[in-house]
Amino acid sequence: MEQEPKGNLLTRIIIRLPLIIWSIAVLYPITWMILGAFKTNAEIYANPWGLPESFNFQNFFDAWNNYNIDLGVFNSLFVTVLGTLLALVLAVPTSYALERLNFRGSTVLFNLYISAMMIPMVLGWIPLFFLLMSIGMLDNLFGLSIVYAVSQLPFSIFVLTTFMGSIPKELEESASIDGMSPYGILWKIITPLSMSGIITVTIMNAIQFWNEYFMALIFLQSRENYTLGLAVDFISREAVYTNAWGTLFASLTIAIIPIIILYAIFQRRISKGMTEGAIKG
Amino acid sequence: MVQTKKQKYLFLAFCLVPTFLLFAVFTLYPLFSGLYFSFFSWSGSAADREFVGISNYIRLFNDSIIPRTILHDYFLVVTKVIGIMALAMYFAVAIMQMKIKEAPFYRIIFFFPNIMSVVVIGILWMFIYNPSLGLINSGLEAVGLENLTRPWLGSETWALPAIVLPSIWAGIGLFMLMLMGGIGTISKSYYEAAELDGASEWQQFWKVTVPLLWPQIKVSVLYIVITTLNGSFIIVQIMTGGGPNNSTHVMGSYLYQQAFEQYNFGYGATIGVMILVLSLLTVFLLQRLLRREKVQY
Repeated sequence: MEQEPKGNLLTRIIIRLPLIIWSIAVLYPITWMILGAFKTNAEIYANPWGLPESFNFQNFFDAWNNYNIDLGVFNSLFVTVLGTLLALVLAVPTSYALERLNFRGSTVLFNLYISAMMIPMVLGWIPLFFLLMSIGMLDNLFGLSIVYAVSQLPFSIFVLTTFMGSIPKELEESASIDGMSPYGILWKIITPLSMSGIITVTIMNAIQFWNEYFMALIFLQSRENYTLGLAVDFISREAVYTNAWGTLFASLTIAIIPIIILYAIFQRRISKGMTEGAIKG
Repeated sequence: MVQTKKQKYLFLAFCLVPTFLLFAVFTLYPLFSGLYFSFFSWSGSAADREFVGISNYIRLFNDSIIPRTILHDYFLVVTKVIGIMALAMYFAVAIMQMKIKEAPFYRIIFFFPNIMSVVVIGILWMFIYNPSLGLINSGLEAVGLENLTRPWLGSETWALPAIVLPSIWAGIGLFMLMLMGGIGTISKSYYEAAELDGASEWQQFWKVTVPLLWPQIKVSVLYIVITTLNGSFIIVQIMTGGGPNNSTHVMGSYLYQQAFEQYNFGYGATIGVMILVLSLLTVFLLQRLLRREKVQY
Protein backbone atom coordinates (compact mmCIF):
# COMPACT_ATOMS: atom_id res chain seq x y z
CA MET A 1 0.00 0.00 0.00
CA GLU A 2 1.07 3.56 -0.62
CA GLN A 3 2.18 5.54 2.41
CA GLU A 4 1.28 9.01 1.23
CA PRO A 5 -1.06 10.96 3.52
CA LYS A 6 -4.73 10.72 2.77
CA GLY A 7 -6.69 13.56 1.20
CA ASN A 8 -5.67 16.68 -0.62
CA LEU A 9 -4.34 19.90 0.84
CA LEU A 10 -7.78 21.46 1.36
CA THR A 11 -9.20 18.57 3.39
CA ARG A 12 -6.02 18.47 5.44
CA ILE A 13 -6.49 22.12 6.33
CA ILE A 14 -10.18 21.65 7.12
CA ILE A 15 -9.42 18.72 9.39
CA ARG A 16 -6.74 20.72 11.17
CA LEU A 17 -8.96 23.72 11.76
CA PRO A 18 -10.75 22.40 14.89
CA LEU A 19 -7.39 21.42 16.36
CA ILE A 20 -6.08 24.93 15.85
CA ILE A 21 -9.25 26.53 17.23
CA TRP A 22 -9.12 24.33 20.32
CA SER A 23 -5.45 25.17 20.87
CA ILE A 24 -6.40 28.84 20.89
CA ALA A 25 -9.35 28.13 23.20
CA VAL A 26 -6.95 26.52 25.68
CA LEU A 27 -4.00 28.89 25.37
CA TYR A 28 -5.72 32.24 25.03
CA PRO A 29 -7.56 32.35 28.40
CA ILE A 30 -4.48 31.13 30.27
CA THR A 31 -2.16 33.58 28.53
CA TRP A 32 -4.63 36.37 29.01
CA MET A 33 -4.95 35.55 32.72
CA ILE A 34 -1.18 35.80 33.12
CA LEU A 35 -1.03 39.02 31.08
CA GLY A 36 -3.91 40.44 33.13
CA ALA A 37 -1.74 40.11 36.22
CA PHE A 38 0.53 42.83 34.80
CA LYS A 39 -2.25 45.31 34.01
CA THR A 40 -3.51 48.13 36.17
CA ASN A 41 -7.20 48.10 36.98
CA ALA A 42 -7.82 50.99 34.60
CA GLU A 43 -6.22 48.99 31.80
CA ILE A 44 -8.33 45.93 32.61
CA TYR A 45 -11.50 47.98 32.27
CA ALA A 46 -10.36 49.79 29.14
CA ASN A 47 -8.85 46.84 27.36
CA PRO A 48 -9.63 43.58 29.15
CA TRP A 49 -8.50 41.19 26.40
CA GLY A 50 -5.44 42.89 24.95
CA LEU A 51 -1.77 43.16 25.83
CA PRO A 52 -0.65 45.16 28.87
CA GLU A 53 0.97 48.53 28.18
CA SER A 54 3.91 47.76 30.40
CA PHE A 55 4.92 44.92 32.68
CA ASN A 56 4.00 46.09 36.12
CA PHE A 57 4.59 43.85 39.11
CA GLN A 58 2.44 45.92 41.48
CA ASN A 59 -0.41 43.35 41.43
CA PHE A 60 1.97 40.62 42.55
CA PHE A 61 3.24 42.75 45.45
CA ASP A 62 -0.34 43.55 46.43
CA ALA A 63 -1.48 39.95 46.28
CA TRP A 64 1.59 38.80 48.20
CA ASN A 65 1.61 41.48 50.88
CA ASN A 66 -1.97 42.67 51.28
CA TYR A 67 -4.15 39.73 50.26
CA ASN A 68 -2.59 36.87 52.23
CA ILE A 69 -1.24 35.11 49.15
CA ASP A 70 2.10 34.74 50.93
CA LEU A 71 0.41 32.72 53.69
CA GLY A 72 -1.56 30.77 51.11
CA VAL A 73 1.62 29.78 49.28
CA PHE A 74 3.39 28.69 52.48
CA ASN A 75 0.36 26.78 53.76
CA SER A 76 -0.16 25.03 50.44
CA LEU A 77 3.53 24.21 50.28
CA PHE A 78 3.31 22.78 53.80
CA VAL A 79 0.34 20.48 53.11
CA THR A 80 1.74 19.50 49.71
CA VAL A 81 5.15 18.47 51.05
CA LEU A 82 3.85 16.80 54.20
CA GLY A 83 0.95 15.11 52.41
CA THR A 84 3.20 13.76 49.65
CA LEU A 85 5.79 12.41 52.08
CA LEU A 86 3.15 10.84 54.28
CA ALA A 87 1.44 9.22 51.30
CA LEU A 88 4.75 7.64 50.29
CA VAL A 89 5.59 6.42 53.78
CA LEU A 90 2.15 4.81 54.00
CA ALA A 91 1.87 3.49 50.45
CA VAL A 92 5.33 2.04 49.71
CA PRO A 93 5.43 -0.73 52.39
CA THR A 94 1.78 -1.65 51.81
CA SER A 95 2.28 -1.82 48.05
CA TYR A 96 5.29 -4.08 48.52
CA ALA A 97 3.38 -6.39 50.85
CA LEU A 98 0.36 -6.52 48.55
CA GLU A 99 2.48 -7.17 45.47
CA ARG A 100 5.19 -9.51 46.78
CA LEU A 101 4.32 -11.11 50.11
CA ASN A 102 1.75 -13.83 49.73
CA PHE A 103 -0.62 -13.66 52.61
CA ARG A 104 -4.20 -14.62 53.05
CA GLY A 105 -6.56 -11.80 52.14
CA SER A 106 -4.08 -9.85 50.05
CA THR A 107 -6.43 -9.69 47.05
CA VAL A 108 -9.33 -8.60 49.25
CA LEU A 109 -7.23 -5.85 50.80
CA PHE A 110 -5.96 -4.69 47.41
CA ASN A 111 -9.51 -4.54 46.04
CA LEU A 112 -10.66 -2.67 49.12
CA TYR A 113 -8.05 0.04 48.54
CA ILE A 114 -8.70 0.24 44.81
CA SER A 115 -12.49 0.38 45.10
CA ALA A 116 -12.14 3.42 47.35
CA MET A 117 -11.11 5.31 44.18
CA MET A 118 -14.69 4.99 42.93
CA ILE A 119 -16.55 5.91 46.12
CA PRO A 120 -17.81 9.50 46.46
CA MET A 121 -15.99 10.76 49.53
CA VAL A 122 -18.36 13.66 50.12
CA LEU A 123 -20.49 11.47 52.43
CA GLY A 124 -17.44 10.78 54.57
CA TRP A 125 -16.53 14.44 54.93
CA ILE A 126 -19.28 15.14 57.47
CA PRO A 127 -18.07 12.51 60.00
CA LEU A 128 -14.49 13.39 59.14
CA PHE A 129 -15.21 16.98 60.13
CA PHE A 130 -16.32 15.85 63.61
CA LEU A 131 -13.52 13.31 63.87
CA LEU A 132 -10.94 16.01 63.20
CA MET A 133 -12.69 18.29 65.67
CA SER A 134 -12.63 15.67 68.42
CA ILE A 135 -8.89 15.05 68.02
CA GLY A 136 -8.11 18.77 67.80
CA MET A 137 -7.08 18.61 64.14
CA LEU A 138 -9.82 20.78 62.68
CA ASP A 139 -8.55 24.03 61.20
CA ASN A 140 -5.12 22.46 61.37
CA LEU A 141 -2.70 22.09 58.46
CA PHE A 142 -1.20 18.94 59.94
CA GLY A 143 -4.65 17.33 60.11
CA LEU A 144 -5.38 18.36 56.53
CA SER A 145 -2.09 16.81 55.37
CA ILE A 146 -3.05 13.47 56.92
CA VAL A 147 -6.48 13.60 55.30
CA TYR A 148 -4.85 14.44 51.95
CA ALA A 149 -2.32 11.61 52.22
CA VAL A 150 -4.97 9.03 53.08
CA SER A 151 -7.24 10.28 50.29
CA GLN A 152 -4.50 9.57 47.73
CA LEU A 153 -3.60 6.12 49.16
CA PRO A 154 -5.72 4.13 46.67
CA PHE A 155 -4.16 5.86 43.66
CA SER A 156 -0.63 5.64 45.12
CA ILE A 157 -0.98 1.94 45.96
CA PHE A 158 -2.37 1.22 42.52
CA VAL A 159 0.54 2.88 40.70
CA LEU A 160 3.25 1.52 43.03
CA THR A 161 2.07 -2.10 42.90
CA THR A 162 2.17 -1.92 39.09
CA PHE A 163 5.77 -0.70 39.16
CA MET A 164 6.87 -3.16 41.83
CA GLY A 165 5.36 -6.03 39.87
CA SER A 166 7.95 -5.46 37.15
CA ILE A 167 10.97 -5.83 39.46
CA PRO A 168 12.63 -9.27 39.00
CA LYS A 169 12.05 -11.54 42.00
CA GLU A 170 15.61 -12.94 41.84
CA LEU A 171 17.02 -9.73 43.29
CA GLU A 172 15.06 -10.12 46.50
CA GLU A 173 15.83 -13.83 46.68
CA SER A 174 19.56 -13.40 46.37
CA ALA A 175 19.56 -10.53 48.85
CA SER A 176 17.65 -12.71 51.25
CA ILE A 177 20.18 -15.54 50.84
CA ASP A 178 22.96 -13.01 51.52
CA GLY A 179 21.32 -12.42 54.87
CA MET A 180 19.49 -9.19 54.25
CA SER A 181 16.44 -8.65 56.43
CA PRO A 182 13.06 -7.97 54.79
CA TYR A 183 13.26 -4.40 56.06
CA GLY A 184 16.62 -4.06 54.29
CA ILE A 185 15.19 -5.54 51.09
CA LEU A 186 12.29 -3.11 51.15
CA TRP A 187 14.51 -0.11 51.83
CA LYS A 188 17.68 -0.92 49.88
CA ILE A 189 16.36 -2.93 46.93
CA ILE A 190 12.67 -2.37 46.30
CA THR A 191 12.56 1.35 47.02
CA PRO A 192 15.43 2.33 44.69
CA LEU A 193 14.19 0.00 41.93
CA SER A 194 10.67 1.39 42.02
CA MET A 195 11.96 4.97 42.02
CA SER A 196 10.26 5.71 38.72
CA GLY A 197 6.88 4.79 40.20
CA ILE A 198 7.65 6.72 43.36
CA ILE A 199 8.45 9.83 41.32
CA THR A 200 5.22 9.51 39.32
CA VAL A 201 3.16 9.08 42.49
CA THR A 202 4.92 11.99 44.15
CA ILE A 203 4.30 14.38 41.26
CA MET A 204 0.67 13.36 40.84
CA ASN A 205 -0.04 13.66 44.56
CA ALA A 206 1.78 16.98 44.80
CA ILE A 207 -0.32 18.44 41.96
CA GLN A 208 -3.44 17.09 43.60
CA PHE A 209 -2.65 18.60 47.01
CA TRP A 210 -1.45 21.92 45.62
CA ASN A 211 -4.71 22.27 43.66
CA GLU A 212 -7.10 20.88 46.27
CA TYR A 213 -9.98 23.13 47.26
CA PHE A 214 -13.01 21.46 48.77
CA MET A 215 -11.53 19.55 51.70
CA ALA A 216 -9.57 22.67 52.60
CA LEU A 217 -12.82 24.63 52.45
CA ILE A 218 -14.48 22.24 54.89
CA PHE A 219 -11.62 21.43 57.24
CA LEU A 220 -9.92 24.84 57.52
CA GLN A 221 -11.60 27.86 59.06
CA SER A 222 -9.28 30.66 60.07
CA ARG A 223 -7.78 32.86 57.40
CA GLU A 224 -4.21 32.35 58.57
CA ASN A 225 -4.60 28.66 57.74
CA TYR A 226 -6.06 29.19 54.27
CA THR A 227 -4.33 27.25 51.54
CA LEU A 228 -3.70 28.96 48.22
CA GLY A 229 -6.96 27.77 46.67
CA LEU A 230 -8.99 29.23 49.53
CA ALA A 231 -7.02 32.48 49.53
CA VAL A 232 -7.55 32.93 45.78
CA ASP A 233 -11.23 32.05 46.09
CA PHE A 234 -11.53 34.62 48.88
CA ILE A 235 -10.04 37.34 46.66
CA SER A 236 -12.37 36.30 43.84
CA ARG A 237 -15.44 36.62 46.07
CA GLU A 238 -14.26 40.02 47.33
CA ALA A 239 -13.42 41.23 43.82
CA VAL A 240 -17.11 41.79 43.18
CA TYR A 241 -16.91 44.64 45.70
CA THR A 242 -13.23 45.65 45.60
CA ASN A 243 -12.81 45.27 41.82
CA ALA A 244 -9.25 44.11 42.51
CA TRP A 245 -9.11 42.15 39.28
CA GLY A 246 -5.40 42.69 38.72
CA THR A 247 -4.64 41.27 42.14
CA LEU A 248 -6.93 38.33 41.42
CA PHE A 249 -5.09 37.58 38.18
CA ALA A 250 -1.75 37.88 39.93
CA SER A 251 -2.83 35.38 42.59
CA LEU A 252 -4.20 32.98 39.96
CA THR A 253 -0.86 33.25 38.16
CA ILE A 254 1.02 32.50 41.37
CA ALA A 255 -1.20 29.43 41.85
CA ILE A 256 -0.60 28.09 38.35
CA ILE A 257 3.14 28.75 37.86
CA PRO A 258 4.37 25.76 39.91
CA ILE A 259 2.02 23.53 37.90
CA ILE A 260 3.33 24.91 34.62
CA ILE A 261 6.91 24.30 35.76
CA LEU A 262 6.17 20.73 36.87
CA TYR A 263 4.36 20.09 33.59
CA ALA A 264 7.23 21.50 31.57
CA ILE A 265 9.64 19.09 33.26
CA PHE A 266 7.51 15.99 33.70
CA GLN A 267 4.94 16.32 30.91
CA ARG A 268 5.17 12.71 29.70
CA ARG A 269 5.19 11.22 33.16
CA ILE A 270 2.18 13.29 34.27
CA SER A 271 -0.02 12.51 31.28
CA LYS A 272 0.95 8.83 31.44
CA GLY A 273 0.31 8.67 35.18
CA MET A 274 -3.12 10.23 34.84
CA THR A 275 -4.18 8.14 31.86
CA GLU A 276 -3.21 4.94 33.63
CA GLY A 277 -4.90 6.03 36.84
CA ALA A 278 -8.08 6.73 34.89
CA ILE A 279 -8.01 3.41 33.06
CA LYS A 280 -8.01 1.52 36.33
CA GLY A 281 -10.37 3.84 38.20
CA MET B 1 19.01 -16.51 57.01
CA VAL B 2 15.80 -18.33 57.58
CA GLN B 3 13.04 -16.16 58.89
CA THR B 4 10.96 -17.45 61.70
CA LYS B 5 7.21 -17.29 61.29
CA LYS B 6 7.06 -14.60 63.94
CA GLN B 7 9.55 -12.38 62.13
CA LYS B 8 7.61 -12.83 58.93
CA TYR B 9 4.35 -11.78 60.53
CA LEU B 10 6.06 -8.89 62.24
CA PHE B 11 7.30 -7.60 58.91
CA LEU B 12 3.90 -8.07 57.32
CA ALA B 13 2.30 -6.12 60.16
CA PHE B 14 4.93 -3.40 59.80
CA CYS B 15 4.01 -3.04 56.14
CA LEU B 16 0.26 -3.20 56.43
CA VAL B 17 -1.03 -2.21 59.85
CA PRO B 18 -0.15 1.51 60.14
CA THR B 19 -1.43 2.24 56.64
CA PHE B 20 -4.60 0.26 57.13
CA LEU B 21 -5.29 1.89 60.49
CA LEU B 22 -5.12 5.37 58.98
CA PHE B 23 -7.17 4.25 55.99
CA ALA B 24 -9.77 2.76 58.32
CA VAL B 25 -9.93 5.87 60.50
CA PHE B 26 -9.92 8.50 57.75
CA THR B 27 -11.76 6.71 54.93
CA LEU B 28 -13.75 3.66 56.02
CA TYR B 29 -15.00 4.92 59.37
CA PRO B 30 -16.28 8.25 57.94
CA LEU B 31 -18.17 6.49 55.16
CA PHE B 32 -19.96 4.08 57.48
CA SER B 33 -20.43 6.73 60.09
CA GLY B 34 -22.03 8.92 57.41
CA LEU B 35 -24.62 6.21 56.81
CA TYR B 36 -25.27 6.13 60.56
CA PHE B 37 -25.52 9.94 60.86
CA SER B 38 -28.27 9.97 58.26
CA PHE B 39 -30.66 8.62 60.90
CA PHE B 40 -30.05 11.53 63.26
CA SER B 41 -31.05 15.11 63.54
CA TRP B 42 -27.92 17.00 64.44
CA SER B 43 -26.85 20.62 64.39
CA GLY B 44 -23.26 19.95 65.38
CA SER B 45 -23.01 20.04 69.17
CA ALA B 46 -22.88 16.71 70.95
CA ALA B 47 -25.86 17.52 73.18
CA ASP B 48 -28.57 17.85 70.58
CA ARG B 49 -27.90 14.75 68.51
CA GLU B 50 -31.21 12.98 68.34
CA PHE B 51 -32.19 9.69 66.70
CA VAL B 52 -34.99 10.40 64.26
CA GLY B 53 -35.25 7.13 62.34
CA ILE B 54 -35.98 7.58 58.67
CA SER B 55 -37.42 11.07 58.95
CA ASN B 56 -34.39 12.55 57.12
CA TYR B 57 -35.18 10.22 54.25
CA ILE B 58 -38.83 11.27 54.29
CA ARG B 59 -37.66 14.87 54.19
CA LEU B 60 -35.37 13.99 51.28
CA PHE B 61 -38.29 12.68 49.25
CA ASN B 62 -40.40 15.73 50.03
CA ASP B 63 -37.67 18.32 49.44
CA SER B 64 -38.52 20.08 46.18
CA ILE B 65 -34.87 21.07 45.61
CA ILE B 66 -33.62 17.46 45.62
CA PRO B 67 -35.11 16.41 42.24
CA ARG B 68 -33.62 19.56 40.72
CA THR B 69 -30.16 18.78 42.09
CA ILE B 70 -30.37 15.24 40.70
CA LEU B 71 -31.52 16.57 37.34
CA HIS B 72 -28.66 19.10 37.28
CA ASP B 73 -26.12 16.40 38.08
CA TYR B 74 -27.34 14.18 35.27
CA PHE B 75 -27.55 17.15 32.93
CA LEU B 76 -23.85 17.71 33.58
CA VAL B 77 -23.14 13.99 33.16
CA VAL B 78 -24.90 13.74 29.79
CA THR B 79 -23.60 17.00 28.32
CA LYS B 80 -20.06 16.30 29.50
CA VAL B 81 -20.04 12.75 28.14
CA ILE B 82 -21.33 13.89 24.75
CA GLY B 83 -19.17 17.01 24.54
CA ILE B 84 -15.95 15.43 25.75
CA MET B 85 -16.30 12.18 23.83
CA ALA B 86 -17.26 13.84 20.55
CA LEU B 87 -14.41 16.34 20.65
CA ALA B 88 -11.81 13.98 22.13
CA MET B 89 -12.70 11.36 19.52
CA TYR B 90 -12.45 13.84 16.68
CA PHE B 91 -9.11 15.15 17.90
CA ALA B 92 -7.70 11.69 18.54
CA VAL B 93 -8.74 10.31 15.16
CA ALA B 94 -7.60 13.43 13.30
CA ILE B 95 -4.19 13.42 14.97
CA MET B 96 -3.59 9.68 14.60
CA GLN B 97 -5.00 9.10 11.11
CA MET B 98 -3.64 12.24 9.49
CA LYS B 99 -0.20 11.63 11.00
CA ILE B 100 -0.07 15.31 11.80
CA LYS B 101 3.49 16.53 12.29
CA GLU B 102 2.74 18.91 15.14
CA ALA B 103 0.84 16.20 17.09
CA PRO B 104 3.03 16.55 20.22
CA PHE B 105 2.06 20.23 20.37
CA TYR B 106 -1.65 19.38 20.54
CA ARG B 107 -1.07 16.59 23.06
CA ILE B 108 0.80 18.92 25.38
CA ILE B 109 -1.56 21.88 25.04
CA PHE B 110 -4.86 19.98 25.24
CA PHE B 111 -3.81 18.03 28.30
CA PHE B 112 -2.65 20.97 30.38
CA PRO B 113 -6.09 22.07 31.70
CA ASN B 114 -6.48 18.58 33.20
CA ILE B 115 -3.90 19.40 35.82
CA MET B 116 -5.08 22.93 36.51
CA SER B 117 -6.73 23.59 39.85
CA VAL B 118 -10.52 23.71 39.74
CA VAL B 119 -10.24 27.03 41.57
CA VAL B 120 -8.19 28.52 38.75
CA ILE B 121 -10.45 27.04 36.06
CA GLY B 122 -13.60 28.21 37.82
CA ILE B 123 -12.41 31.75 38.46
CA LEU B 124 -10.92 32.09 34.98
CA TRP B 125 -14.23 31.09 33.43
CA MET B 126 -16.19 33.32 35.78
CA PHE B 127 -14.28 36.16 34.24
CA ILE B 128 -14.81 34.84 30.72
CA TYR B 129 -18.55 34.94 31.48
CA ASN B 130 -18.33 38.33 33.20
CA PRO B 131 -21.32 40.35 31.91
CA SER B 132 -19.41 43.56 31.15
CA LEU B 133 -15.73 42.61 30.77
CA GLY B 134 -15.94 38.94 29.84
CA LEU B 135 -14.64 37.40 26.65
CA ILE B 136 -17.98 35.88 25.61
CA ASN B 137 -20.01 39.05 25.81
CA SER B 138 -17.24 41.23 24.34
CA GLY B 139 -16.88 38.71 21.52
CA LEU B 140 -20.61 38.73 20.80
CA GLU B 141 -20.60 42.52 20.78
CA ALA B 142 -17.61 42.61 18.47
CA VAL B 143 -19.42 40.56 15.83
CA GLY B 144 -22.65 42.53 16.23
CA LEU B 145 -24.67 40.03 18.23
CA GLU B 146 -25.40 42.34 21.19
CA ASN B 147 -28.83 40.82 21.64
CA LEU B 148 -27.26 37.48 22.53
CA THR B 149 -25.19 38.88 25.40
CA ARG B 150 -26.46 38.02 28.84
CA PRO B 151 -25.22 37.69 32.41
CA TRP B 152 -24.44 34.01 31.83
CA LEU B 153 -23.82 32.88 35.39
CA GLY B 154 -26.50 35.18 36.76
CA SER B 155 -29.23 33.74 34.58
CA GLU B 156 -31.34 30.87 35.88
CA THR B 157 -31.58 29.41 32.39
CA TRP B 158 -27.97 29.79 31.29
CA ALA B 159 -25.93 29.30 34.45
CA LEU B 160 -25.93 25.50 34.36
CA PRO B 161 -25.10 25.18 30.63
CA ALA B 162 -22.40 27.79 31.24
CA ILE B 163 -20.77 25.45 33.76
CA VAL B 164 -20.57 22.63 31.20
CA LEU B 165 -18.16 24.46 28.93
CA PRO B 166 -15.29 24.83 31.43
CA SER B 167 -15.80 21.21 32.48
CA ILE B 168 -15.38 20.08 28.88
CA TRP B 169 -12.51 22.51 28.34
CA ALA B 170 -10.70 21.04 31.33
CA GLY B 171 -11.45 17.40 30.52
CA ILE B 172 -10.75 16.87 26.82
CA GLY B 173 -6.99 16.26 26.97
CA LEU B 174 -7.02 13.22 29.22
CA PHE B 175 -9.65 11.40 27.15
CA MET B 176 -8.01 12.37 23.88
CA LEU B 177 -4.80 10.72 25.13
CA MET B 178 -6.68 7.62 26.26
CA LEU B 179 -8.35 7.26 22.85
CA MET B 180 -5.08 7.97 21.02
CA GLY B 181 -3.46 5.18 23.02
CA GLY B 182 -6.22 2.84 21.85
CA ILE B 183 -6.03 3.90 18.21
CA GLY B 184 -2.29 3.32 18.29
CA THR B 185 -2.84 -0.36 19.04
CA ILE B 186 -5.24 -0.95 16.10
CA SER B 187 -3.39 -2.77 13.36
CA LYS B 188 -3.19 -0.90 10.06
CA SER B 189 -4.14 -4.03 8.16
CA TYR B 190 -7.80 -3.58 9.18
CA TYR B 191 -7.94 -0.20 7.46
CA GLU B 192 -6.14 -1.53 4.41
CA ALA B 193 -8.60 -4.41 4.14
CA ALA B 194 -11.55 -2.04 4.59
CA GLU B 195 -10.16 0.24 1.92
CA LEU B 196 -9.80 -2.66 -0.51
CA ASP B 197 -13.45 -3.50 0.18
CA GLY B 198 -14.30 0.06 -0.84
CA ALA B 199 -15.31 1.34 2.60
CA SER B 200 -15.37 5.13 2.87
CA GLU B 201 -13.42 6.81 5.66
CA TRP B 202 -16.67 7.44 7.50
CA GLN B 203 -17.55 3.74 7.27
CA GLN B 204 -14.05 2.84 8.38
CA PHE B 205 -14.53 4.99 11.45
CA TRP B 206 -17.79 3.31 12.50
CA LYS B 207 -16.93 -0.24 11.42
CA VAL B 208 -13.27 -0.45 12.38
CA THR B 209 -12.22 2.32 14.74
CA VAL B 210 -15.24 2.44 17.07
CA PRO B 211 -15.59 -1.33 17.67
CA LEU B 212 -11.87 -1.84 18.18
CA LEU B 213 -11.66 1.22 20.40
CA TRP B 214 -14.63 0.14 22.50
CA PRO B 215 -12.67 -0.74 25.67
CA GLN B 216 -11.16 2.77 25.75
CA ILE B 217 -14.50 4.39 24.94
CA LYS B 218 -16.18 2.46 27.71
CA VAL B 219 -13.54 3.34 30.29
CA SER B 220 -13.64 7.01 29.27
CA VAL B 221 -17.42 7.25 29.54
CA LEU B 222 -17.43 5.52 32.92
CA TYR B 223 -14.65 7.75 34.18
CA ILE B 224 -16.44 10.93 33.08
CA VAL B 225 -19.66 9.74 34.75
CA ILE B 226 -17.96 8.80 38.02
CA THR B 227 -15.88 11.95 38.30
CA THR B 228 -18.90 14.13 37.44
CA LEU B 229 -21.25 12.52 39.96
CA ASN B 230 -18.55 12.50 42.65
CA GLY B 231 -16.99 15.87 41.96
CA SER B 232 -19.06 18.24 39.83
CA PHE B 233 -20.06 20.18 42.93
CA ILE B 234 -16.56 21.62 43.27
CA ILE B 235 -16.75 23.76 40.15
CA VAL B 236 -20.40 24.58 40.94
CA GLN B 237 -19.41 25.75 44.41
CA ILE B 238 -16.69 28.00 43.01
CA MET B 239 -18.59 29.44 40.05
CA THR B 240 -22.13 29.90 41.37
CA GLY B 241 -22.42 28.38 44.85
CA GLY B 242 -25.60 26.68 43.61
CA GLY B 243 -27.33 29.92 42.62
CA PRO B 244 -29.01 31.88 41.19
CA ASN B 245 -32.10 30.66 43.00
CA ASN B 246 -30.83 27.03 43.25
CA SER B 247 -30.68 26.79 39.45
CA THR B 248 -27.20 25.23 39.48
CA HIS B 249 -27.26 23.27 42.74
CA VAL B 250 -26.01 19.72 42.28
CA MET B 251 -26.28 17.04 44.95
CA GLY B 252 -22.83 17.72 46.41
CA SER B 253 -23.19 21.50 46.61
CA TYR B 254 -26.59 21.08 48.24
CA LEU B 255 -25.02 18.72 50.77
CA TYR B 256 -22.37 21.33 51.52
CA GLN B 257 -25.00 24.01 51.97
CA GLN B 258 -27.20 21.89 54.22
CA ALA B 259 -24.38 20.47 56.35
CA PHE B 260 -21.70 23.13 56.55
CA GLU B 261 -23.64 26.35 56.02
CA GLN B 262 -26.97 25.55 57.67
CA TYR B 263 -25.66 22.96 60.14
CA ASN B 264 -28.18 20.24 59.27
CA PHE B 265 -25.50 17.56 59.52
CA GLY B 266 -27.94 14.65 59.72
CA TYR B 267 -29.80 15.77 56.62
CA GLY B 268 -26.49 16.47 54.86
CA ALA B 269 -25.42 12.88 55.55
CA THR B 270 -28.72 11.69 54.06
CA ILE B 271 -27.94 13.60 50.88
CA GLY B 272 -24.51 11.97 50.96
CA VAL B 273 -26.10 8.53 51.12
CA MET B 274 -28.23 9.46 48.13
CA ILE B 275 -25.10 10.51 46.20
CA LEU B 276 -23.41 7.22 47.08
CA VAL B 277 -26.42 5.11 46.06
CA LEU B 278 -27.06 6.99 42.80
CA SER B 279 -23.40 6.97 41.86
CA LEU B 280 -22.97 3.21 42.44
CA LEU B 281 -26.27 2.45 40.73
CA THR B 282 -25.40 4.56 37.69
CA VAL B 283 -22.00 2.95 37.30
CA PHE B 284 -23.51 -0.52 37.65
CA LEU B 285 -26.22 0.14 35.05
CA LEU B 286 -23.81 1.84 32.69
CA GLN B 287 -21.39 -1.05 32.89
CA ARG B 288 -24.17 -3.41 31.76
CA LEU B 289 -25.32 -1.00 29.08
CA LEU B 290 -21.85 -0.56 27.61
CA ARG B 291 -21.08 -4.24 27.60
CA ARG B 292 -20.50 -5.33 24.06
CA GLU B 293 -19.31 -8.49 22.46
CA LYS B 294 -15.58 -8.43 22.02
CA VAL B 295 -14.93 -7.79 18.35
CA GLN B 296 -12.68 -10.03 16.40
CA TYR B 297 -11.90 -9.77 12.75
